[in-house]
Amino acid sequence: MNSLPTQFWARVVFLLQRYGLSYLKGAGTTLLISVVATLFGCVIGFAVGIVQYVPINRNDRLIKKIPMKILKALLKIYVEVFRGTPMMVQAMFIYYGASQVFGINMNMWFAAFFIVSINTGAYMAETVRGGILSIDIGQTEGAMAVGMTHLQTMTNVLIPQALRNIMPQIGNNLIINIKDTCVLAVIGTVELFFAAKSVAGTYYTYFESMTIAMIIYLSMTIAASKLLRFWESRMDGSGTYDLATTDTLAFTSGMYPQIKDSRNAMGTKDKEEAKNE
Amino acid sequence: MSDEILRVEHLGKTFGTNVVLRDIDFSVKKGDVTCIIGASGSGKSTLLRCINLLEEPTSGNILFHDSSILDKSVNIPAYRAKVGMVFQSFNLFNNMTVLENCMISPMKVLKLDRAEAQQRAMLYLDKVGMTAYINAKPRFISGGQKQRVAIARALAIQPEVLLFDEPTSALDPQMVGEVLAVIRALAAEGHTMVIVTHEMAFARDVSNRVIFMADGVICEEGSPSQLFQNPQEESTRAFLKRFTQG
Ligand SMILES: Nc1ncnc2c1ncn2[C@@H]1O[C@H](COP(=O)(O)OP(=O)(O)O)[C@@H](O)[C@H]1O
Ligand SMILES: [Mg+2]
Repeated sequence: MNSLPTQFWARVVFLLQRYGLSYLKGAGTTLLISVVATLFGCVIGFAVGIVQYVPINRNDRLIKKIPMKILKALLKIYVEVFRGTPMMVQAMFIYYGASQVFGINMNMWFAAFFIVSINTGAYMAETVRGGILSIDIGQTEGAMAVGMTHLQTMTNVLIPQALRNIMPQIGNNLIINIKDTCVLAVIGTVELFFAAKSVAGTYYTYFESMTIAMIIYLSMTIAASKLLRFWESRMDGSGTYDLATTDTLAFTSGMYPQIKDSRNAMGTKDKEEAKNE
Repeated sequence: MSDEILRVEHLGKTFGTNVVLRDIDFSVKKGDVTCIIGASGSGKSTLLRCINLLEEPTSGNILFHDSSILDKSVNIPAYRAKVGMVFQSFNLFNNMTVLENCMISPMKVLKLDRAEAQQRAMLYLDKVGMTAYINAKPRFISGGQKQRVAIARALAIQPEVLLFDEPTSALDPQMVGEVLAVIRALAAEGHTMVIVTHEMAFARDVSNRVIFMADGVICEEGSPSQLFQNPQEESTRAFLKRFTQG
């Protein structure tokens, strides 16, 4: 305790030697919450986005129409409320509100996952909706024309394409979550910021401790975006494909007699036939 | 009566105040190859889209094997599976390979198992000469190849009627031939087809009936020789003249 060095970098090293584990645990907590909450948020976002996209037809029966309309309205409120208020306020509102009003003592971990997931979900819902809307209508019509139902079209054609289109947004959300989980400090979640602040307070080494926090945050966000890029390119697959055999009809290209030049492109067999005509 | 698959009766379609189809009447018998010709904007696509219920008709009726498909009780996806459609812009599923494009509907709509679906997909991909490209994603093949895959995809649900909406209009001239060759082969096999096309020579020798549409109505119809060699209506003559000159 009494051996705090005077030089900046020496202090940083000192903090790391003594409290390295606290930073590491904090970073782990940050990463765990943000990754899991981003995944849950995507699931929520897809669910909400898909429900919002369900068509309500004029001739649907009321029994289907009314609940659907109510559900859509509720989801709209959910999206607006959680996009339109700060996550820090939401955290306190939910965590303390639950215990004061309903007498529920929320598990801190549950609260943390819940708040970040529900927040991400609200953003993702709009992203997913936009992702589906941006897909060419021809994809839907192609699916409908072969007899697929709305649900089959969604799961087989639209969602896979929407998922690929919004991967950059998902990556963005992950990065935002890695940074913004720091607001969970207000409900006592010991994530990286909380850990760094506690260490800082012990020696009054705010600059040093926050330098460490900055470097760890930055490493995590850079790693996350690199990883997502890699995943995106894996989803795209390679541009090349193996020809299973040869294109058996390629030589008939232009065989249609209206196109005169095409005669040159014919195979020899066709040329002979053409002569015989 | 028994071999009649489709009958369109007094069909009308308006978009808002825009009357696009008026009093369309025609029927399709098993084995018929019907070509629909007419200027852009005359309502040909809208007619096909109404038949496939991609658009809801505003008046008249469409009968499939003598029962209306406009009844509320009709299972629309199940009906669509019996009426295949090939689009001008292909509309292949971008997230699937050529093979998957042709397997998805047999699996999901007809509930075949994977092996059966694959066997069937390969059968039709072979018919259109695309078995070499089964592992390719649509964005890596040419327009003509895309359309051939789209035809195989439509055939894979084994529809009773195939609708083609200008299948070669989005293609470079040298690719038109390969797609028309495939459609000719299907006609020779006795497939029932309704084909919207601007390829007059093709329409003449592939079809057994030609319908000329203008301004949302059927202006004239008849056998290919009748309609192309001896058109009765002035507007048909004017339309054909433009095409044979160009
Ligand atoms: N969804 C739509 N809303 C309004 N008007 C439409 C719509 N689809 C087609 N139309 C109009 O209907 C007319 C016929 O279009 P279409 O059936 O595509 O003609 P064609 O296929 O013969 O070129 C055109 O005037 C077009 O503008
Ligand atoms: Mg058209």
